[in-house]
Amino acid sequence: MNKPIFELVNELPTNNVTVMMLRSLDFVVPGEWQNIVGFENTIREVTGETDEEMIQAIGDRAVWLYNDKSQGYQRAMWLYQTVDRADSALGAAALANKVGDKIPLVGGLLSRVTPNPDKAQAIDLTIKLVVELVAFCQINGIPGDSIGDFVAALGEYSGESLMRMAALVCVDGLIPLGPDFILKAQSTLNNLSPQDLSSNPAFSRVSSLIPGGNARGQLDFIGESFDSVKGWMANFVNQRDLTPEKVFSRLQSFIEFSESKLDYVAAFLDMTTNYYEHTGTQTLAARLIERALAEI
Amino acid sequence: MTALRKVLLTFVLGTVLLITSCSNQSPSRFDTAQQDSTAKGSSAVVSESQSGGSFNRFFPDESNGYKRVYTQEKQGFAEAKLKKDGKEVAVLSISDTLNNPSAVNKFEQSTETINGYPAVNQGKTGTAVLVGDRFQVKVLSRDNSFTEEDRKTWLGKFDLRGLSKLN
Repeated sequence: MNKPIFELVNELPTNNVTVMMLRSLDFVVPGEWQNIVGFENTIREVTGETDEEMIQAIGDRAVWLYNDKSQGYQRAMWLYQTVDRADSALGAAALANKVGDKIPLVGGLLSRVTPNPDKAQAIDLTIKLVVELVAFCQINGIPGDSIGDFVAALGEYSGESLMRMAALVCVDGLIPLGPDFILKAQSTLNNLSPQDLSSNPAFSRVSSLIPGGNARGQLDFIGESFDSVKGWMANFVNQRDLTPEKVFSRLQSFIEFSESKLDYVAAFLDMTTNYYEHTGTQTLAARLIERALAEI
Repeated sequence: MTALRKVLLTFVLGTVLLITSCSNQSPSRFDTAQQDSTAKGSSAVVSESQSGGSFNRFFPDESNGYKRVYTQEKQGFAEAKLKKDGKEVAVLSISDTLNNPSAVNKFEQSTETINGYPAVNQGKTGTAVLVGDRFQVKVLSRDNSFTEEDRKTWLGKFDLRGLSKLN
């Protein structure tokens, strides 16, 4: 059985590798993300209400809405959970090895991490972007392939949603692929066959919810999505003057790594964080609670 | 011998930890809603409710530096943010109470009207009107500068009469 929404929000960690990473990225979107955890706490934060009866009514309605499968919330949650592939044992090992406030990326930890080839990394980036688009439409109710509506909505992103996009650009773009990550992803997509796409693990995990009908159609959908969002991403990077060096230097607030092991940093974060699931749960809970408050 | 006792103690403590951590979650005040909403045949939204898209045209127009941004459009529900100088100051919504009939109860206590429709305050930040005994129009403040008076003014800017004809 699916977990109740209140359990999912209650179980969000207050401090793990994901949370440490997101905190280190605050400089990209200053003050946008607070790690709000706990269902009742989220209701109070989102609505500003403190009356216990109101909180009960809002929470009850949110639970009902989440459990109605026709409303799309569970599909969105599944997408956010499935696109990440965090290895919780590795994450725990990393935390256990902390020296002071930092995780040293050395020795045994390093040997358990394998950098992704550029091609797989580029596909990962585009798949995560498409997952955001589809999950957005499931949560907010715009038809599933309305790319234009999504691009307009990106400009309105704030809070944990904006942090998720910031992390995507930094950790799945700039760090593994370098400053021209958009071009690299574009050229990977241009040279990709439907067979290549089908054999990519990130795609296989979520393909059942990607529009397009078959691998060829899905590849087209991914291409169109990436095409329409790349301008937004380029602006995001330019406006903030983001570079891999700047991101690396901020990541050093919680991981210690040598210049010769930069390749491993992206792979380590990929394997130990689930920032899509973490912030996606926060986004979904906030939208659900807003709707519940309006409907009671 | 001490080594054996240590091993045994570790084993026993470990088992206790495992058992306690695997036990069920502590009860939640939302358990009843969880059980009722996952019972066979239950749903939060009924097919007779109006589509969210059909509500959009009854929202107030942008004016006096206020920007309106549509944010959610689901069966029986539509929502828009009201922004001023880039800041979110209020949330506007229309919902079909066919999906949540108990929402109309609070209007029995209504002592005032907006454009002829019963109005009530709800919680700290909300004011709502009931149109045609069915559609709930609500404005929620998201900034202290947006007062109860502002909420009432904006409720009056919805096309409430038009919405009543959707019934």
